[in-house]
Amino acid sequence: MISDQLNQRITRIGPDTPAGAVLRRYWQPAALVDELDHGARVPVNLLGERLALVRDDEGALQLVTRRAAANETPTHYPASDDIEIDPDGPRYPVEIRAGAIFAYLGTGTPPAFPNFDCFRAPDSHVFAFKGLWECNWLQALEIGIDPAHASFLHRFLEDDDPDDGYGKQFRDKAGSTEIPMTKLLRDYPRPDIQVDETDYGLKITALRHMEDGRTHVRVTNQIFPDAICIPMSREMTITQWHVPVDDETCYWFTIFTSFDKPVNKTLMREQRLKEHRLPDYAPLKNRHNDYHYDPAEQAALTYTGMGLDINVHDQWAVEGMGRIQDRTQEHLGRSDVAIIRYRRMLRHAMSAIEDGTDETLLMQDTGDTAAMCGPLSNDAIAQSDDWREASHMADLDRRAACPWDATV
Amino acid sequence: MQTQDTDDAQWVKIATSADLDIPRPVLPITLGGRPLVLFRDDEGKLGLIGRHCPHRGADLCYGRLEDNGLRCPFHGWHFDRSGQCVEQPAEPEGSVMYQQIKVPMVPVIERDGAIFARLGEALEQAAQRETTT
Repeated sequence: MISDQLNQRITRIGPDTPAGAVLRRYWQPAALVDELDHGARVPVNLLGERLALVRDDEGALQLVTRRAAANETPTHYPASDDIEIDPDGPRYPVEIRAGAIFAYLGTGTPPAFPNFDCFRAPDSHVFAFKGLWECNWLQALEIGIDPAHASFLHRFLEDDDPDDGYGKQFRDKAGSTEIPMTKLLRDYPRPDIQVDETDYGLKITALRHMEDGRTHVRVTNQIFPDAICIPMSREMTITQWHVPVDDETCYWFTIFTSFDKPVNKTLMREQRLKEHRLPDYAPLKNRHNDYHYDPAEQAALTYTGMGLDINVHDQWAVEGMGRIQDRTQEHLGRSDVAIIRYRRMLRHAMSAIEDGTDETLLMQDTGDTAAMCGPLSNDAIAQSDDWREASHMADLDRRAACPWDATV
Repeated sequence: MQTQDTDDAQWVKIATSADLDIPRPVLPITLGGRPLVLFRDDEGKLGLIGRHCPHRGADLCYGRLEDNGLRCPFHGWHFDRSGQCVEQPAEPEGSVMYQQIKVPMVPVIERDGAIFARLGEALEQAAQRETTT
């Protein structure tokens, strides 16, 4: 449990808030490149600001302030011709990376982009998508740094053929085994969770000690301040930002990165467009239609009764907490260790900006940040107690076989 | 709001028994602005408890009705009809944290095909008012 005052402090992100100040020190995904088809002006609703992507006289993209009515919906998406630019409002720099348009809403010189896999893989090996969640960004991020929930929320009472699992989370085999990931998660629901602070955020290791003496090692990451990097399948990782639209609404922006074959973008886009509407990328299953909850399915097939798409499960979990989770009522357990560590880092960063000691913020040094590789994000099977080595070797093997330069 | 234990007037009808005559007898109930969930357990007894899981606030109206109680689909925390947490299957083996976890419970009675909840102190303490839509 935390005080209401602290809960407000770590969740609210408007221009003059401490958490908003932290998020504004980092590049944030503002739109998908696909959205540029909208027209000369593309609406962007980010960090409580009403903005638009436009091209300057040289044809370069920039993010400018647009005039907005006070009663606009959070994800209001006007036609290009209806967007009126406010010449006196702030203007922000943007960069295109991996199918997404990143913006820097802070003051001063933007930090460098780290040389993470999602930013160094060729265009053929990355795919970006986004989706709307009707809740505060922090509870959206916190589910991503909670390795235990996958054994429950995403539990499937039957296992599909992993060969049919392209482009889907937890549908591959576990590590180098023939065990479906769904079975492993179901059979071992009490992961031993280790958290290491790193120069980019947190390395989160979930160990599932198997009956045969082997250990399943799943490494996920928190990338400060609002992203995660997690394995999706043997072939792909997910790097995902949870970006505020306003205090009560956020987008997840994901870059899928393949370490093997080029990403089948047509299939990936088709899979996801089937679950979302345009132009606001709102999920078709949502709280207004009970997430298509089916008690019979919950009894027989899935833990939630909300279908096979794990994004819907996560969306239900975080939206059901209320627009801003009331953390004065929460009771964190051992399985929440990464969440506790993350909040400590966020509070430290907020205080550092307020105290003028912001040189201590992660990834702000241009030289070091640009050279930052990884992060290691995979599932591996350790035959012995040396799970660190097993995880490291599995990562090196995948990088060595990668068709693009993924060396670390 | 009245608080005397003996006054019939403090009981308010919240549902009919027929409302729960469904394959999965779980209903969201809002009482005095407070979000609650009503369910019938395997013994046929009723529980009216706070709607949000005390762990991280997930919505127990979508809980798994099993093992004589309601189980949160987020991390499997399991609650009996008194609101007592009886299992935290993601916590380490041997953890007794669950013993300290209780969801606020509002007393209910079932009479002549109607279900009544008792207004009063228990409800006042039963989670915060719904502040968001």
